[in-house]
Amino acid sequence: MRITCPYCGERALDEFTYRGDATVKRPDSLDENTAEAWVDYVYLRDNPAGPHKELWHHGAGCHAWLEVTRDTVTHEILDVAFARKGC
Amino acid sequence: MAGRQTNRLRGHGLVDQGTTVSFRFDGQQLTGHPGDTLASALLANGIRLVGRSFKYHRPRGILTAGSEEPNALVELRQGARREPNTRATTIELYDGLEAASQNRWPSLKADLLSLNQLAAPLLGAGFYYKTFMWPAAFWEKLYEPMIRRAAGLGYPSKQADPDSYEKTNAFCDVLVIGAGPAGLSAALAAAKAGARVILCDEDFALGGRLLSERGDVDGESGAPGRRPRRPNSSPPDCRILRRTTVFGAYDGGVYAAVERVSDHLPVPPEHAPRQRLWRIVAKQAIVCAGAFERPIVFGDNDRPGVMLAGAVRTYVNRFGVAPGQNAVIFADNDAALRTATDLADAGLTVQAIVDPRPQGSAAAEQVAAGTGALYLRGVIEKVRGAHGVRVVGVRDNQGGTRTIKCDLLAISGGWNPALNLTTHLGGKPRWDDSRACLVPGDLPAGMRVAGAAVGEVSTEACLASGEAAGAGAARDCGFSPSAPSRPAPDRQIAPATPVWQVETGRGKAFVDSQNDVAVSDVKLAAREGFRVPDHVKRYTTLGMATDQGKTSNLNGAAILAEATGRYLGAVGSTTFRPPYTPVSIGALAGHHRGTDFRPTRLTPSHRWAEEQGAVFVEVGMWMRALMFPRPEESAQETVNREVANTRAHVGVCDVSTLGKIDVQGTDAAAFLDKVYINGFSKLAVGKARYGLMLREDGFAMDDGTTARLAEDHFYMTTTTANAVRVSQHLEFCQEVLWPELDVQTVSATEQWAQYAVAGPNARAVIAALLDSGQDISNDAFPYMACGTFKICGGVPARLFRLSFSGELAYEIGVPARYGDGLIRAIMDAGAAHGIAPYGTEALGVMRIEKGHAAGPELNGQTTAHDLGLGRMMSKKKDFVGRFLGEREALNEPARAALVGLKPLDPKVRVSAGAHLVPKGADAVAANDQGYVTSQAYSPELKSFVALAMLSNGPARHGEVLKVCDPLRGSETLAEVCSPHFVDPDGERLRV
Amino acid sequence: MSSLKSMSALHGIVSPGRYGKQDGEPGVVASERRDIGLATIAARKGHEADLTAAVKAAYGAVLPSGPGSAVGPGVRFIGIGPGQWFAVSETLANEALADDLAERLKGLASVADHSSGRAIIRLEGPEVRAVLAKGLALDLDPRVFGDGAAATSTIGHMGALLWRDGEAYDIALFRSVGGSFWGWLRSAAAAFGLEVVTTS
Ligand SMILES: [Zn+2]
Repeated sequence: MRITCPYCGERALDEFTYRGDATVKRPDSLDENTAEAWVDYVYLRDNPAGPHKELWHHGAGCHAWLEVTRDTVTHEILDVAFARKGC
Repeated sequence: MAGRQTNRLRGHGLVDQGTTVSFRFDGQQLTGHPGDTLASALLANGIRLVGRSFKYHRPRGILTAGSEEPNALVELRQGARREPNTRATTIELYDGLEAASQNRWPSLKADLLSLNQLAAPLLGAGFYYKTFMWPAAFWEKLYEPMIRRAAGLGYPSKQADPDSYEKTNAFCDVLVIGAGPAGLSAALAAAKAGARVILCDEDFALGGRLLSERGDVDGESGAPGRRPRRPNSSPPDCRILRRTTVFGAYDGGVYAAVERVSDHLPVPPEHAPRQRLWRIVAKQAIVCAGAFERPIVFGDNDRPGVMLAGAVRTYVNRFGVAPGQNAVIFADNDAALRTATDLADAGLTVQAIVDPRPQGSAAAEQVAAGTGALYLRGVIEKVRGAHGVRVVGVRDNQGGTRTIKCDLLAISGGWNPALNLTTHLGGKPRWDDSRACLVPGDLPAGMRVAGAAVGEVSTEACLASGEAAGAGAARDCGFSPSAPSRPAPDRQIAPATPVWQVETGRGKAFVDSQNDVAVSDVKLAAREGFRVPDHVKRYTTLGMATDQGKTSNLNGAAILAEATGRYLGAVGSTTFRPPYTPVSIGALAGHHRGTDFRPTRLTPSHRWAEEQGAVFVEVGMWMRALMFPRPEESAQETVNREVANTRAHVGVCDVSTLGKIDVQGTDAAAFLDKVYINGFSKLAVGKARYGLMLREDGFAMDDGTTARLAEDHFYMTTTTANAVRVSQHLEFCQEVLWPELDVQTVSATEQWAQYAVAGPNARAVIAALLDSGQDISNDAFPYMACGTFKICGGVPARLFRLSFSGELAYEIGVPARYGDGLIRAIMDAGAAHGIAPYGTEALGVMRIEKGHAAGPELNGQTTAHDLGLGRMMSKKKDFVGRFLGEREALNEPARAALVGLKPLDPKVRVSAGAHLVPKGADAVAANDQGYVTSQAYSPELKSFVALAMLSNGPARHGEVLKVCDPLRGSETLAEVCSPHFVDPDGERLRV
Repeated sequence: MSSLKSMSALHGIVSPGRYGKQDGEPGVVASERRDIGLATIAARKGHEADLTAAVKAAYGAVLPSGPGSAVGPGVRFIGIGPGQWFAVSETLANEALADDLAERLKGLASVADHSSGRAIIRLEGPEVRAVLAKGLALDLDPRVFGDGAAATSTIGHMGALLWRDGEAYDIALFRSVGGSFWGWLRSAAAAFGLEVVTTS
């Protein structure tokens, strides 16, 4: 598999490390009423067959965290963007 | 005496008959010619029997002339270079080649293990699964060794491989896989359009079937040996890789290939690898892998001398070898008739053409007449000749039988496209009824298939389809190929009438001769409920091992279809996965083996440590000094001395491997508040603080000290093992969690050589290094101070008053180029103060004596509470791990928390990993209350000591527990105590 | 003058001489670029434009927005990531470059010194691309990777920053893997002949 890093260009899979679902949002840790949201954020993941937004780290390249849209069925990379918005 | 090449056809073929090379097979001295394979040379010498089969030890010969060969597997070379299971049909002959047959004892002709044949009825499908089940204890001691001796293929050398291997990367617009007519045509078309092309072929000669067939291409002989015409225009960008098998297709246009650089030579030339692994990234790829001829299955079809008809033509036309003198042809297609013509033209006898097709063939009848052969409508039902075909039995379609004397039976059941690479990414082949074969189905992005691999039959069609594919691939890469020069060929082909097998009562009819899988095995599997080819493969082993069923899968599927009453097109085939043909582990490892298995990181003073006789230990990729033994010292004595000397005088330890991260920005302090459980905003410039990081689930991730060098500049340290992980975590926090913060991080690990100088005399040693006018008295530079100093005549140094050992201690860092110089200067400055270096072992002893958590305690299962650091968790701020770290269950006293352990007998070592149970209780899981994480001998306490995680531990100081280590078979009693064994109030480090 | 000896990253690891194939012109010529200034600069948040202007004014180079080089008098800036550059200078040797950058870009960029943390190896010669291909999965075809092009990747599983300076390829490696890299280079270049020369 190859991922086109928006900074470095197309690179081999082994330059990247996978973190997981990019759609989860970290809840507010100071709000005591977020227990369920925290369990969701840390432990629970959907396992979609098809396009999925994932976080990948270009550790062997520019060190950017990337939001990769990947088809989990075909491994096709549909889109790659910086996880940090406005980059 | 060298054997004569009795079956060489003088003046025939492409081998260099003017040059003779000699080789040995099973000790027999033989000769051949450059351009031969081992198989062609053996056939030239009249040798048909080349091995014994896997299970029944049946005599086996040569079935094919290519990499799909199931039978002719030999051990190549001797000694450390001995390689088992190499295909005689692909081994390029060289002078001095040595090969031996496999699976026979004591000799190929008199193989005692062939008695297995008599037991054949007992050795059917699923035999291993059914027979060797019980009793379980018999498996390891009896069944497995017995099976291993009797079965299996060749034996590898047990010596280290003396040759080197390498890997390389290549990029191209168009990768063409296979250099037959379609591949050559495709590569030419793509390269002419301006594309960067790589053309690979597993053979040592380009041409594919053109090498094996007689016939013209564009008015010239198709067989190379003649120089191709030079193009007039600029040379196209085409890299040609011969002896290179593209064995895998991967996502994103990545292909793996292995180039056999030196396999055709006795030993690799100096500086050349034996094999080279290519990782090829191609925008477009064209699979022109050709096709495999398939056999017809009948009784005793595995006799040496039974050969695929196309292979017979290869031996005659390419190698100038007669695989036999008297041939019978048994084929269900007219294409195989060329075999009769070619044999006859080479002066050999064709006894008969046996045609199993119900409708017969006028063409076949004509060829028979022309070659003087009998034309018989019927089937081969038996083959006689233990060590090679002598007689075949024909049953004609009127029911009559006759026997024909012959020494070669050329068979053909049609051709299967070599579509393996098209399915590596999950594509499913499609059944083509009119061609009676599987053809490529949906292709991965950027892949095309041309020529025989897509079911084309004629050379003209292959050339045209290759050209079209090459031009199309170039166009998809943005080039503008010229219009095709070849007219699209007439695609009208006569529908095939395949004959998969001949029903005969006698003689085992082998579907997969490599694995000795017979028709009866497939039928048995069908009767036992197996219906999917992949399941039948696992149950019967059909299609396993080195050839992966290239000549047997489809026949197997057809027999399965018939046995289960289904349409073959619906049954499908097994799944092809990489590698296409076997790949040596050496090629996959390349340069990275032995000490080069992975890179090694050395600190700036590594050479100095070597000079001191240091013993090193791998920590991650780093080599760290474990200890500095002196002559006649035991390891324990060394560590005791290093610890005692540090505690009594002063010691120095290289801590350059600790992860160091430069954290800058106006929000740097706010950022650190978010990644550590404790606060850093209020840390004064010129001070350092211990910090603990959690994962978001509340468990400890890493710890270290972070110093504030300026209002907007921090210098963080991590453990050696977690440095990369922490960097990545910080980048995640910066970019994903809190992108609004102005903070920049970068690893500074490599920039700084850093040494811990510890012990009562540490200040005197450091002071001796400082340039004049700088004060590090306890008042000016107290515990946890940090600052920038000049040392040794102007070298910039960072000084930190940190202590892992519990003594008065400093860490001093200089740019790494001064690292070697600094350690020598420290040793010089410390000589008068009793300095000695200490390694990670002594470091570990001292931190255990002080109860500092390290790797064994930060094991991914411990929380801040467990480590005794619960009070550090800020209640006021947001930080990673805060919410789930506050969970009740992670903070309840019953959790295992850090304690010290002192064995009642101080001379008894408490082993790490041992479990804690109440005194007097049994050592069973139900009584488990905790476990030992670290242990050491404390020279200060003159006792072994340990750290442990114990349920409700901090409240149990003084209790005696049983420490059980069933793995090492030890039990001992120890007293629970504070983990701070030495100087619990920390007085020494503040002096 | 300091009493501590300064040692380059490959000091004691690589000696000048001919390695691998002995006859003919060497396929690859290697040299260590010693005592040069190396530093990373990372833009402070919201100061990207100011930083570009300041670098232009101070060093005469326009910071590249991607993985390429911008060369000013005595200093080269190489893009290594979004908002991050690697600066290389022969005139501002060793720590002097980082000091100078920190001074001139104060408040606009975070500067870190790497002059001791990297080994800089220069590779030249007719086979340099063939040698690098054995460890580097990047297309170095001149049509793709032209003068000034740069990439952060791995060579033989070792992190590396590579940039092209004319016909030469400069490689910045972590100091600690100098020995392993040398072992890899020696093996990868053996078939072509490797000449090691010193530059300073
Ligand atoms: Zn990148």
